[in-house]
Amino acid sequence: MGKVMIIDLSICNGCHNCQVACKDEHVANDWSPIAKPQPDTGQFWTKVINLELGTVPKVQVTYHHSICQHCEDAPCLEACPQKAIYRRTDGVVIIDPGRCRGNQLCLEACPYENVIYFNDDLNIAQKCTFCAHLLDQGWSETRCSDACPTGAFTFGDEDDPKIKEKIAVSELLKPELPTRPRVYYLNLPKKWIAGAVYDKEADECTEGATVTATNAATGEKVTTTTDNYGDFWLKNLSDGAYTILIEKPGYLTQKLGPIDATSKDQNLGDIVVWKA
Amino acid sequence: MAQDRAKNSTSGEKTLVRDISFCGVPENGSNASMVDVKDGKIIRIRPMHYDWKYDPQKDMNPWKFQVRGKTFEPSMKTLIPPYSIAYKKRIYSPARIRYPMMRVDWDPDGERNPQNRGKSKYKRISWDQALDIITSEMNRIKEKYGPTALLYQSDQHGENKVVQACHGAGRKLLRLWGGFTQQNRQPDSWEGWWWGSKHFWGCEPVGQGQQSNLLYDMSKNAELLLFWGCDQETTPWGWQGQLPSRLSYWWTELGIKQIYVCPDLNYAAAVHADRWIPVLPNTDAALYLAITYQWFTDGTYDKEYLDTHAVGVDEYKAYVMGDEDGVPKTPEWAAPITGVPARVIKALAKEWASKRTTVVIGNGGPGIRGPYATEAARLQNICLAMQGLGKPGINQAKMIEWGLFDKPDQYAQPKPLRVPYLRAAYTGGHPDETNHPSFIPKTYVPKAILEGECDWYGCESECADRKDQFVHYKYPAEGCSKIHAVWTDSPSWITCWNSGNDYVRAMQHPDIEFMWCQHPWLENDALLADIILPVNTKLEEDDIAGDIFSGQYNLLFPEHKCVEPLGESYSDYEIVCMLADRLGLLKEYTGGKTIPELIKYGWETSRCSDLISWEELNEKGYYVVPTADGWEEVPAGFYNFYKDPEKYPLTTPTGKLEFLATGLQKHFPKDLERPPVPKWVAKGISHEETIGTERSKKYPLLVCSNHPRWGVHSQHDDITWLREIPTCKIKGPDGYQYHPVWLHPSTAGERGIKDGDVVSIFNERGTVLGAAYITERIMPDVVYMDHGAKWDPIEPGVLDRGGAINTIVPRNTTSKNAVGHAVSGFLVEIEKTDLEAIKRKYPGAFERPFHPCAGPGLEACVMGGE
Repeated sequence: MGKVMIIDLSICNGCHNCQVACKDEHVANDWSPIAKPQPDTGQFWTKVINLELGTVPKVQVTYHHSICQHCEDAPCLEACPQKAIYRRTDGVVIIDPGRCRGNQLCLEACPYENVIYFNDDLNIAQKCTFCAHLLDQGWSETRCSDACPTGAFTFGDEDDPKIKEKIAVSELLKPELPTRPRVYYLNLPKKWIAGAVYDKEADECTEGATVTATNAATGEKVTTTTDNYGDFWLKNLSDGAYTILIEKPGYLTQKLGPIDATSKDQNLGDIVVWKA
Repeated sequence: MAQDRAKNSTSGEKTLVRDISFCGVPENGSNASMVDVKDGKIIRIRPMHYDWKYDPQKDMNPWKFQVRGKTFEPSMKTLIPPYSIAYKKRIYSPARIRYPMMRVDWDPDGERNPQNRGKSKYKRISWDQALDIITSEMNRIKEKYGPTALLYQSDQHGENKVVQACHGAGRKLLRLWGGFTQQNRQPDSWEGWWWGSKHFWGCEPVGQGQQSNLLYDMSKNAELLLFWGCDQETTPWGWQGQLPSRLSYWWTELGIKQIYVCPDLNYAAAVHADRWIPVLPNTDAALYLAITYQWFTDGTYDKEYLDTHAVGVDEYKAYVMGDEDGVPKTPEWAAPITGVPARVIKALAKEWASKRTTVVIGNGGPGIRGPYATEAARLQNICLAMQGLGKPGINQAKMIEWGLFDKPDQYAQPKPLRVPYLRAAYTGGHPDETNHPSFIPKTYVPKAILEGECDWYGCESECADRKDQFVHYKYPAEGCSKIHAVWTDSPSWITCWNSGNDYVRAMQHPDIEFMWCQHPWLENDALLADIILPVNTKLEEDDIAGDIFSGQYNLLFPEHKCVEPLGESYSDYEIVCMLADRLGLLKEYTGGKTIPELIKYGWETSRCSDLISWEELNEKGYYVVPTADGWEEVPAGFYNFYKDPEKYPLTTPTGKLEFLATGLQKHFPKDLERPPVPKWVAKGISHEETIGTERSKKYPLLVCSNHPRWGVHSQHDDITWLREIPTCKIKGPDGYQYHPVWLHPSTAGERGIKDGDVVSIFNERGTVLGAAYITERIMPDVVYMDHGAKWDPIEPGVLDRGGAINTIVPRNTTSKNAVGHAVSGFLVEIEKTDLEAIKRKYPGAFERPFHPCAGPGLEACVMGGE
């Protein structure tokens, strides 16, 4: 009966309750043999990452989350010559604070970011334990999932039908890796291209224009229609460069691009269309 | 889950239910939390689970919204904010005061050095010494000047407590002692509604629209939500938690469009907005005017409704259309003022008129706490009126303080069977208390002391009726003294009110012979006091509490001490008892009741004593008030008025919506700053704080300042776990954590400012240091800096390192005849700070030690460190 965590980025409001509750649980509390105390600051066994996307006025914030993925094939576990890292029957991967000798090979081995931290004072590597000390006392939640107000964190058993349903539609943080993690994500950020179309002569927002983005490499097309503010958001784009076509009967067709949505989301700003 | 919570035993931990909220008034408890303790230590603080000891179906009468084919249910746990979870850090903060202290260069028998307040260090003294000095000073001042020479502040921003109340526990004592001058808090978070909207729609005493059942109404009926200067992901946290967040996500799921109108992409807009309309701070009045211009022009408003529900529409229309002043308030007119393109104003006006629209506010947010906030408030109300205020889906909803002042019409959430009431057991001062003849509106305290006399209208209390705004008052009141001593508790003046630097200068004035403070932390105004008394945090005390504001379920619970009081600290109530004892007034003061008796008295008078016995309450540890049957039928917002304005009149003089405020016309017909018909006021005798004015040539940037995300007003600024969040603090090159100031890349680029640079934000009222947070979350030509950062003066009254932006906000109030504070929407300039140059100029200030992760602590200010 393995434990899993599912994190839905689309309903994370960025309150940081998860990050703070983790500290409340682990700073100045010694949960040996599961975990020794976490340093007061600077380490985040569950970390909120603030991603600000776009430019004024098309701006959104996505809060991403780093946490130990509790991999079935955990590179950290293999990398530790002390055999200080082990997997429990519930799948939770633990760095045994009593066995860790501080060689830090696990930090190098972990292919995920912001997961394993080194505690200089204690000379040990530390990370998320899925609050195994609480699970062992009968808790059904971790501190982070209990503290989450919106339901962005779901913790449970992988055999639970409700959990299975969520896993079925979820994604992995790095699907290309063979690590088989126990942390799943919903709504990982995808790139977007946005803009606002207006008729400069009439000084009016142009509603109902068709906007098409074509991926220069694959030919993949995404289409949307401008709203009453002339706004369009082409969402869920694959990485790549796009050409943009703006069409409305009675207006000259506007062509823009190529727009590179590989490294960041793109707000094209105010786009003028002219009557034909 | 309920089962798991109840176990709670293998670990040897004990779970206590505590209210960890920060509004400071007895009706306003919230954020019920479970505190697990073991061996005198707080192990953890976590959400409280309603179903720990109760069966929801049997005991709680759960409510749900079932609309548009979807269901919303309250969470089975409380939705507490991060600073409730982190509260043990606050208890053990490096700034905790653990014993009484006295300013080293204040000598009651010799030199008092008032000019050194904010500069001097402190030394430890005994409780006996402290109480002796305070009572002898009280008596000396009373004898020399009369009791009104003592200003008791007693109304600031502290923890929620009932029997151990942290605000104004001394008011009753001072009445027994012979009197005092009361500092009267004005409605500091909803100024515009209080000083403006009351003249439009009444709605006493708050001034915001009627709220009853609006959460249900919005879910069921609204097609468009306009969040106007509202950040429900920030402002409600300390008062009630995060139900507004869950609701906002649900409204999106329902397909209800959310538009955010604000200068900043605030924390709610960042995750919920379908569209963000950036507007220059404090120019909303012009935007509303242009919207109504469009409606008058297109005929897209409810004329029949106005005929039966409103007065003064013609006068308003004459102003809007330019008949009165020759300036039609067109979208093109408003565009350069507001920074919103005319075409977007037109699109917004069109959309608003075509959809059932609720305007959503977060009390004020920055939008309603600026110069002339009365005008934006009334003009927003006018927009709602023109679309048929009170129709299903058409109201003004607030995302905070659901149930304020125990008023049923403030209850936006499903109504509980009873609202727990703890006022009878409350030992502190309440915002509705008056103290005639001697009081000063809080905003006028610096002016009163620095100028020696002043006069104003209104503010006899924060709950005063509209008509009080026409009553003229003065300082010193007839037969009363000027202020010569100040007593403050849980203070937060400098970092939360108007022109904090003026307040600092006032406290340094030679008239102020003595100032004493009681507070758990050495921070903000405490740094000005001559004597400081150490107070417990709430988790070190027994008490009783309610959770009223959560929007989920109401709770009543006795509170048990989680840890022993730190050092020599006592509760505020206990301290006042000690003073009462020395003044020979203890028996009269306590009424013969002990603290445990007061706590039990709280239950007896809670309105719930027939629903749960004292024994059962203590055994279970809490009581969940069931939802009232038939809550769905409570008329939403202004619905009754909409249906029948004659039968359900408003409390305005005409009983109608007053486009022309008849009360203002009668009393202040020539007031250009709050005229009878609301107007766009770019500048006036009180303020010159808009772009395009002469001052804006020197100070070209507008400040937007909301309540803080990572604290409540002045509270929580020392929590290390929050300070490491990038939007909370930014470490400067000197290792000091500066308060972030948001700058658009263009604003920063024009000034050569890079992300993370230490910058100076300044105007003629002073300078504040901050760290540049360069972001697209703020529009160009605007800077965002929230209030509440802990004051850390480099030169008191002039230059602050901590980032207390309120030190340089306007000193004048909302307008000439409205003594609200104006703390957002004002002009500054900003530049990269030459830290080395400042260090050379003020070596002493920069040598003061600070905690690298918690900020300034006790050791900076105590002789010999500690």
